[in-house]
Amino acid sequence: MTDAIVSCRGVSKIFGSGELAVHALREVDLDILSGDFATLAGPSGSGKTTLLNMIGALDTPSSGHVVIDGQDLGSLSKAQLSDLRLNKVGFVFQAYNLIPVLSARENIEFVLELHGLERDERRQRATDILREVGLEGMEDRRPAQLSGGQQQRVAVARALVSRPRIVLADEPTANLDSKTTEELVRLMYRLNREMGTTFVIGTHDPRVMEHSKRHIELLDGRIASDERTG
Amino acid sequence: MMNTIRIFAPLAWRNLWRNPRRTLITLIVVSVGLWSVLAFNSFLNAWTQASKDTTLQLLLGQGQIHAAGYMDDPGVETLMPPPSDGLLKALGDKRISAWASRLVVPSVVQSEYKTLPVMIVGVDPKAERRVSSIPGKVVEGRYLNGPGDDGVVIGKHLAERLKTGLGRRVILMSQGADGLLAEQSFDVVGLYDVDQQTEDYYVFTGRAAGQKFLRLKDEIAEIVFTIPNDQDLAPVIRALKDAAPDMDVRSWKQLSPFLAATNSFMSGFIYIWLSVVFTLMAIGIVNTQLMAVFERTHEFGLLQALGMKPRLVLIMVTMESTLLIGLGVLIGMAMAAASIWATGDGIDLSGFARGLELVQGGQVLYPKFDAGSFVLFSLVIWILGIVVALWPARRASRCSPVEAMRMAT
Repeated sequence: MTDAIVSCRGVSKIFGSGELAVHALREVDLDILSGDFATLAGPSGSGKTTLLNMIGALDTPSSGHVVIDGQDLGSLSKAQLSDLRLNKVGFVFQAYNLIPVLSARENIEFVLELHGLERDERRQRATDILREVGLEGMEDRRPAQLSGGQQQRVAVARALVSRPRIVLADEPTANLDSKTTEELVRLMYRLNREMGTTFVIGTHDPRVMEHSKRHIELLDGRIASDERTG
Repeated sequence: MMNTIRIFAPLAWRNLWRNPRRTLITLIVVSVGLWSVLAFNSFLNAWTQASKDTTLQLLLGQGQIHAAGYMDDPGVETLMPPPSDGLLKALGDKRISAWASRLVVPSVVQSEYKTLPVMIVGVDPKAERRVSSIPGKVVEGRYLNGPGDDGVVIGKHLAERLKTGLGRRVILMSQGADGLLAEQSFDVVGLYDVDQQTEDYYVFTGRAAGQKFLRLKDEIAEIVFTIPNDQDLAPVIRALKDAAPDMDVRSWKQLSPFLAATNSFMSGFIYIWLSVVFTLMAIGIVNTQLMAVFERTHEFGLLQALGMKPRLVLIMVTMESTLLIGLGVLIGMAMAAASIWATGDGIDLSGFARGLELVQGGQVLYPKFDAGSFVLFSLVIWILGIVVALWPARRASRCSPVEAMRMAT
């Protein structure tokens, strides 16, 4: 595939060794294409998080190859992996994971600071993206002053602000009520359509899967099914 | 690098106050530790200076000149003529604030009840007042009026031992210049009160009276001189040796090796204290910082997941330690400066006068603000604090982003 952002070939991940070895992933082949809005589903222990870690350059496979935007993870140092994550990948976590001592805007500006952007540009982009996710007027609030849904919106804004090739979200709605979940999923879906950002969402929430254009099912570390719905 | 500091310094500062209690504990550890080093250093310097001044001002001076052989066998055979020509000129050096010549010979003093060994010191009272504190320590009677005064001023404790006192007579015996016994009775005209050892050992009379008693002409035993500035001591001693090559010129450090050793030990002792304080501080800093890093493991992994390089995590955590220890150092410096300022009028230890006599300590200490040692010790504490805090910082930078993800989900 020429427009694959992430390409996994024969990816296996084994934790531990000997009799205690756990095969989290077994010979997984997967391509994530530009513009995908994919959900990664499966029961607990099926390997969703492990696969997301591979796709997000947070971990390297025990065997096989993961190539992100043309770069094989196996050949990169820790610092190069950090650079790759900074420039190509955005993360949204279940527990939001905002930096508690920074305001909503500062949390977003922090990523832009790592990119080396000047103050004015950082501020402008952070303000714009917060407006985009519906948090205008809440820029100076710290995470503790925001609701769970608002925090997750900040996390989405943080993941998107550096215009990554792919955004990975691991159970992003697990801590949210249905109304907030619906709003968040619509937001991600809209950003996917309007900005062309690729999303891979690890979830077993049917409300998220409803919007999915591609549904990947994992079972015992293997891809059980991979269907396109839109 | 400056850009990195600009980015992370505000974040590091805010992180410090996420756990105010822990931050305050570290601040207290660093500031009290540094305060103790700076205040103790100032107190030790004051103590050393007071002890040295007390001893040198008593009889020793900053240096003395004797005839060769006198120090090994003091007596009428090893005396010298009064200074003249080159030596007199050298003693006129502006770095020497005062000098006096003395006749000092071993003797025996006898009262109706007891006979004790002493040293007779024949002085020129006017010159002596400029080099010795003893003329000002007369507590009963008077000091000597002139070189020809044939009264004696003896120590208060010696008077008690001899069961004599003011207005009574004592007999001094020594070997005269002719080799025969010299013996004469002297009126006790004054009693002086310093340390017991000095009081027991030195009996003062007029220099000319002493020379007459020993059947001498104008011979003297020693020239004592004072040099206000310590840094001038060595060059002045060299100049005097050049001016009087046949004489025995010694600095106070050679004349009183015990005092010199005490002085040197006191200077070195602050470094022992510094190392003790720093060890305790290091344990405190490493413990609290390790705890902070442990609690924030998840966050450090997250920062790396967001694309922050491990090196930047190390810099950020080190910056937190740098700010924290730096603030503690500033507080410690302020506390020490305040303590020194508050005791600037002197710490009166006269209540411990008897004990201080034993260690030849001064009774009033004057702690002084020494900018050089303030900066030096503060920098040492700050830099060493940062160095030990690198260990927790390194642990933070080695957090795995995968672990963070795992903790997050």
